[in-house]
Amino acid sequence: MITQYSGISPKGDLILLQRLGEKLKNRSFLHINSTRAGGGVAEILHRMIPILKDLNINARWEVIEGDEKFFDITKKIHNALQGNFENITKDMWQHHYEVNRINAEKINFDADAVLIHDPQPAPLIEFRKSGKWIWRCHIDVSHPLKEICDNLIRYCGKYDAAIFSVAKFTRAMGIDEFIIPPSIDPISEKNRELTGEEIGETLNKFRISPDRPIILQVSRFDRFKDPIGVISAYRLVKKYNDCILILAGSPAADDPEGEAVLKEVQDYAADDPDIHILLLPPFSGKDINALQSAATVVLQKSLKEGFGLTVSEAMWKGKPVIGGATGGIPLQIVHGVTGFLVHSVEGAAFRIRQVLNNPEMAKRMGENGREYVRKNFLITRQIRDYLSVWHVMENKGKGVMEL
Amino acid sequence: MEKIIKPFEFKQCVSILKSTGKKAANLRGLRNIIAEVSDDCIFHHTYQYFLKGHILEYTNDFAQWAGEGLEERALAEYLSNIDPYSFKDINGLRQELLNVIDRCLADFPEPREAMQGDEFYFNETVTLTFPVGIRVKNLAEFLIAIKYIDAAAIYYHFYEARVRLGVDDFSKWLEDSQGRNELAERIKAIDPFMHSIEGIKNHIIEAVEEEVRRDMEAVEQ
Repeated sequence: MITQYSGISPKGDLILLQRLGEKLKNRSFLHINSTRAGGGVAEILHRMIPILKDLNINARWEVIEGDEKFFDITKKIHNALQGNFENITKDMWQHHYEVNRINAEKINFDADAVLIHDPQPAPLIEFRKSGKWIWRCHIDVSHPLKEICDNLIRYCGKYDAAIFSVAKFTRAMGIDEFIIPPSIDPISEKNRELTGEEIGETLNKFRISPDRPIILQVSRFDRFKDPIGVISAYRLVKKYNDCILILAGSPAADDPEGEAVLKEVQDYAADDPDIHILLLPPFSGKDINALQSAATVVLQKSLKEGFGLTVSEAMWKGKPVIGGATGGIPLQIVHGVTGFLVHSVEGAAFRIRQVLNNPEMAKRMGENGREYVRKNFLITRQIRDYLSVWHVMENKGKGVMEL
Repeated sequence: MEKIIKPFEFKQCVSILKSTGKKAANLRGLRNIIAEVSDDCIFHHTYQYFLKGHILEYTNDFAQWAGEGLEERALAEYLSNIDPYSFKDINGLRQELLNVIDRCLADFPEPREAMQGDEFYFNETVTLTFPVGIRVKNLAEFLIAIKYIDAAAIYYHFYEARVRLGVDDFSKWLEDSQGRNELAERIKAIDPFMHSIEGIKNHIIEAVEEEVRRDMEAVEQ
């Protein structure tokens, strides 16, 4: 499987992956998160586990289960970590712990390295048996509610190490903290090169005409992704440029607010026939790929963002991307080189107009973006980094290691 | 007896970023943390700056932050002018960074605080080095290889080597093993601060290609 990335991923990444694979051959690597579908974490795990197995690493992926109350609580924790005010009572924290305790009875923790993704399963550390335990934080915790953050650190501080996507998300927890951005898979249905016919099929399916410029945002229906702001920006652009807007998103099993936000967005779009709101089922990678490939300009106008991989996805398809200057988006968008960073609805509208009116600039940005993603945000680099962290933790104290 | 030619083995390095847990929101904070952070941290924010690979206006992270985060352009220029390779050790470099910042703090009003979220985050790295499986014995092979390898291999041999050897690996091999002193001098003369890694690669290719062409023409005569 790893050979499929030859000619796509940087050569050095593939060589190092193989060397690390030799070092960690037949060792076990367990990933645990809270959903098998929807959201970037599940998506990358679907692709990562087979690659790890191909490197002869015994990789497993387990998903914790919880009731509605649990996911309401974890959504509140998620929102509070991203800076929203939420009241999480002692009972709620207790329920969070209890659900994890029940899951711990069912999950086989025997592994040489265990990677726990996000706050939902963080309390599992209390039930560790052996191996190196690493907490992987995918969300923007640059300005969290202190009380909520402190409560969570009770668990996170017990891990051997933590991994954050961006340097400014790191906290002083007294453990090793690594910085590893997430990634996209260039050969997945979502990111492989599609034929014109395949793109046309998707557009036909959703009754979208390719005759006018397409502005696209792909994201969950989540207030932090600012879908209302995107519609406002589109309306400002529409005064000057004829265009259509597509808002496309899949529901995530661990996001109970999605339905309410979708309703708000539909109401705000009212009866504008040029706004297409698409609720895509899970595993709609090919349709998302087609929409991104057909778009003239792609937006990720988030107000808070863990990383915003849709930015890299669009850049990989050679599209200029306009993104909110938040979370991991500035790591992907080099302002003026691979796209534009914006801070307001007005800023987004202005940059959309700039792109629509300068196709040569848009093309150049798209090309720069694709190369930038190739070097920095492909899955092979992320697996390389995870395995490197595991190797580093087993050989602590060395600043430079020869492989 | 024939002289044994030492092949050039291409290597590459990958750095895994690690947080020190320290951050600065203003120039005085930056100064105080520079004074106490690990050598690895100073190394990362100065010598490893070029690993980033994209077009940048400055020559180290401290200068970048002074210019962009604090909008102190003059300080950014002073900091950018520091050549990390001119110091015997990291502490020498650390002291020079402190001198430049102290001068700025003494001579000018203290700059504003960085905006929330734009603080300077002090990181360090763990570096993994590995051979990329390419060994070359002569200039023609070297030329093919240098066109083929990743930018991170150029970084390892051109920048990182200066810390290990005081000189880049390429010119050392060309001089010691190939007797190509003139070519080695041309490569040594490439200013490490004035180009992206791709730019460095192109300059090396250009110089080696010219030498190979000259060799071929000499054979024809």
